[in-house]
Amino acid sequence: MAGTAEDGTMGETAGETAAETSGPADPRQGPGGPAADSRRSTVLPTNSPLLVWAGIGVTLFLLEAGAFFDFVVGLLADTAIAAPAPGPVTSVKPTVVDALEGIERTAESLPTLLSRETVPNGGYWTGQGWEGTFLGLSPAVSWGIRVALIYAYAFAWAGWALLGYRLYRREIRTVAWSPRDDMVDRFRTHSWGKFGLLVVFMFVVMAVFAPALGPTTVEENMRNSYSYEMQYYDTGADEVRTTLIGEANLDSQSTGSNSRVMPFTYDDYGRYHPFGTLPNGRDLFTFITAGSRISLIIGVLSVGLSAFIAATLALTAAYYKGKVDLGSVLLSDAIMAMPQLLLLIMLSTVLADTWIGGIYSGAFILALIFAGTGWTYMWRALRGPALQVSERQWVDAARSFGQKPRTVMRKHMLPYITGYLLIYGSMRLGGAIIAIAGLSFLGLGVAPPTPEWGRAINLGQDYVTTGSWHISLIPGILITLVVTGFNALGDGIRDAIDPQSDTESAAAGRGGGA
Amino acid sequence: MSDRLPTGSARTDDATTDVATDGGTRTDDATTDAAADGDAVTAVDPDALLRVEDLRTVFYTEHEEIHAVDGVSFDVHEGETVGLVGESGSGKSVTARSILGLVDEPGRIEEGAIYYRGEDLTDDNWDAHRGDIAIVFQDPGGSLNPVYTVGNQIREALRIHQGLRGSEARERAVDLLEDVGIPDARRRVDEYPHQLSGGMQQRAVIAMALACDPDLLVCDEPTTALDVTIQAQILDLLAELQREENLAILFITHDMGVIEDATDRVNVIYAGEVVERAPTEALFEDPAHPYTRALLQSIPGRTPPDEQLPTIEGEVPTPTGPATDCRFAPRCPAAFDACTTFHPRHQSLDADGTDRTAACLLHDDTHDRTPAEAFDGTDGFVQSDGFGESGDGPHHTGPHADGGDRS
Repeated sequence: MAGTAEDGTMGETAGETAAETSGPADPRQGPGGPAADSRRSTVLPTNSPLLVWAGIGVTLFLLEAGAFFDFVVGLLADTAIAAPAPGPVTSVKPTVVDALEGIERTAESLPTLLSRETVPNGGYWTGQGWEGTFLGLSPAVSWGIRVALIYAYAFAWAGWALLGYRLYRREIRTVAWSPRDDMVDRFRTHSWGKFGLLVVFMFVVMAVFAPALGPTTVEENMRNSYSYEMQYYDTGADEVRTTLIGEANLDSQSTGSNSRVMPFTYDDYGRYHPFGTLPNGRDLFTFITAGSRISLIIGVLSVGLSAFIAATLALTAAYYKGKVDLGSVLLSDAIMAMPQLLLLIMLSTVLADTWIGGIYSGAFILALIFAGTGWTYMWRALRGPALQVSERQWVDAARSFGQKPRTVMRKHMLPYITGYLLIYGSMRLGGAIIAIAGLSFLGLGVAPPTPEWGRAINLGQDYVTTGSWHISLIPGILITLVVTGFNALGDGIRDAIDPQSDTESAAAGRGGGA
Repeated sequence: MSDRLPTGSARTDDATTDVATDGGTRTDDATTDAAADGDAVTAVDPDALLRVEDLRTVFYTEHEEIHAVDGVSFDVHEGETVGLVGESGSGKSVTARSILGLVDEPGRIEEGAIYYRGEDLTDDNWDAHRGDIAIVFQDPGGSLNPVYTVGNQIREALRIHQGLRGSEARERAVDLLEDVGIPDARRRVDEYPHQLSGGMQQRAVIAMALACDPDLLVCDEPTTALDVTIQAQILDLLAELQREENLAILFITHDMGVIEDATDRVNVIYAGEVVERAPTEALFEDPAHPYTRALLQSIPGRTPPDEQLPTIEGEVPTPTGPATDCRFAPRCPAAFDACTTFHPRHQSLDADGTDRTAACLLHDDTHDRTPAEAFDGTDGFVQSDGFGESGDGPHHTGPHADGGDRS
């Protein structure tokens, strides 16, 4: 990507500048500071702001190191299990899987601040107080503390990144201004875009911390609810009893006005449900958080792949023009002519029983199909700008001194269309989330019991007019909010990239059609 | 452009017969002169650093074929500066792009050869000689990618052509910036293009070209976007670099003043064809082609201050097919009948036969030079005193004044 190439050179020059601090006086140096003294930070009150910044980063990472390794190893293990055995050497696979599961167990034992073990909320009432919850607080408060901690932690990372950017801009970078600064500054004054960024950020945090956010887990509450026991306080008998979670769920169903567990209430088993329960008695909040992860993964994977295909094709066609361009137009028109929904339904049915259809409850194959059919829209948006930049003189200049076509495309053309990629990527991501939810609503897409937002709406649609209206409404509002957020972010990026958005003719600027 | 003339279609028919008969007479009657008139004159020096021979670059649009470069030949020797001058749209830049292999679809080099040190580049040999020929474009800001520092872009060329990386490349980039006269190069090397002025940008672009260690520098209107004082500085810089590095320079411009200052030899290009080639001094002293003469007359300094500055009416035609006539004829004050039916070849104007040529029937005594009535009073004439009907240069008209052998 463009950023990487540039950052690489930046790093290089920064290093060299640091090595020759005794050189020409730096104009941004504080008054009176001797030249030999290193620059005094304007961001952090210390002489080595970079070190402090790095220290903060490491500390933040260590707090959640366990969860991180757990996630990475878990992902590897899942892939190893899902992938087909490589050829005749079938004995290798179980060994690999075993080894990975061993590592997974080790990773799980690493201490993690924001886990449900550190701040537990799954306790029971003993008649006098709460047992098994965080500091003996009620499950609702314990859960609230954990959620607050998780979001505080996420915002700490965001702040850390922002601090890093400011440090880089003020202390490390040798130039006082670069064209990208204006984009950042324009975005900072764009309220709608900032709203979008906030929504997207909250959504991403929800997806990333999904296992720790819910009051219970998918495994206990949904997948294998009859394999787990729980304790609860039986008010009639005035004693603590043990039951299977599956049994408890049957008594916590929301199926109309008579039997329901509404948002922000406890069920009869002393379990707290921030968003109430589903018709089958499962916890809606846990369902939503887990669903957000799968939505995000499909969205990012499909949009990322689309963007990659679209950008590659647009740049190649713009560079070589003529027949290559014509070929790409024909190809994309052919794909656009296919009915996307029909193709989705057909392919997901046909491929459902293959190994690739099994990866991540069918989410992976969905992402592939979305990418395969959706890149054309992005390519349409990128083609114009790519053709435009291919006419720029610096492209000819690079070609004239013998730069390789691939490097010319990557270094001299890609940065110009990165903005468009961000805008359309952000907007397509919202579209992908709606599409996945739509498929699940129709009973296609991600296989149950893996949670998906669209399925929650589907499950609740019979109860919309009854007392259990929350089942469809909450995921519906969330989908609307998240998609709006992604679109708002795209709007913000578009206006930030377009220097003419300061003037009134914003529509004429870049990505005006988005 | 025969189709722009009122009697176009009728004349085209004549033209074919004319050419046929004319060709016949020429081979039969003309002796030594005819031999020199033919291909011998357009042939270029085989020892030249760069030889362009009969280059034809055609653009295929939906409606028509545009012959942007239509049979251009010239050569550039080591260490000399050759000018290519003409109006906008005459095919100068396409020539430059053809030489560098930068002609994009829908354009194609259809015919001709471009020899660099005897090797024909049109056989897809450009990649073998990347860097040997470097180009400086007109708009200095446009040649620099705004998202990278100047140093970054010079290092890019250094890495490819001199294999330099890291601090070594950086040092060399600073040296190059110093060579092209950028003050405080050590700081400038880390600046973005927008932080440099136009003149500085052009210097940086020249540094980028020098990073390839070229033998030939193609300068495509390098000073057009700059103001006059900066122009002079850049010209001085180019002259200095040429002395130091023994660079050959192909200088493309529409500015006759720049040509006079900067070049050793000139090729005047019109509608995709070279119409006159001459040593610079000789050309300015005594232009042989009416077009050259008109160009020189339109230089402000060459007309007395109280007179109206002559202009060349009309514009350069866009050649859409092979030439069957003189493409300058519709605008030419000296045009006569034969100009619209016969495509002029280069005629030697010098004793040694190659140094000076012009493609004009005024210098070809095989044609009847009765004034073309079709053009009288139509637009496209320069109504200026300096132009007689049949050319006013006594040196050229004298021996040929009534030399037509056709009746």
